[in-house]
Amino acid sequence: MDGWQYLLVLASCVAVTLPLEIVAGARVYRRPKALLATVVPVLAVFACWDLVAVHQGEWWFSARYTLGLRIAGLPVEEWLFFLVVPVCALLTYEVLGRASR
Amino acid sequence: MTGAYTIGAICAPAAVVAVELTALRTGILRRGRFWATIAITLAFQVPVDGWLTKLSAPIVLYRPAAISGARWPWDIPVEDFGFAFAMITLTLALWERVRS
Repeated sequence: MDGWQYLLVLASCVAVTLPLEIVAGARVYRRPKALLATVVPVLAVFACWDLVAVHQGEWWFSARYTLGLRIAGLPVEEWLFFLVVPVCALLTYEVLGRASR
Repeated sequence: MTGAYTIGAICAPAAVVAVELTALRTGILRRGRFWATIAITLAFQVPVDGWLTKLSAPIVLYRPAAISGARWPWDIPVEDFGFAFAMITLTLALWERVRS
């Protein structure tokens, strides 16, 4: 089970914020075009930073707590991180926007 | 004292703010809702990132020379908050830009 740790951390982020879309009325997942247009540039910029840092040995990822699937040297979990975290922030921002309308 | 990540964690937020002020120009930095989102997401970063970086069983490990060595709260390298601020600010500014 150790190998699932990083993925489970991300899954809990998704699970905790999902009610913001379903219950609290944020519209983020339901705007797939805007979501993609936002997340793709963010992924490009910050994954590049990550790739350079990992390449230069500034940080690295535990083989024990990741599944071992790697894309361009980064664990799949780390790629997912760049999708999950922006979505969590957008859901928060949208719920706050609804509250103030 | 200051590693490559320390420098990146200072420059990235400044660069994103500059991009917002000069190119995206959404006005998001003047909105309370933006700062409230930053406060909430950085607060949630503590348990999540705290789990990822805890020195007893780290998922992400840092070369000591790359970071300042300041870790707070728990074992989170303070640089991670600069990374997070930059990433979330760019996300929210782009979202505003795309939707308008």
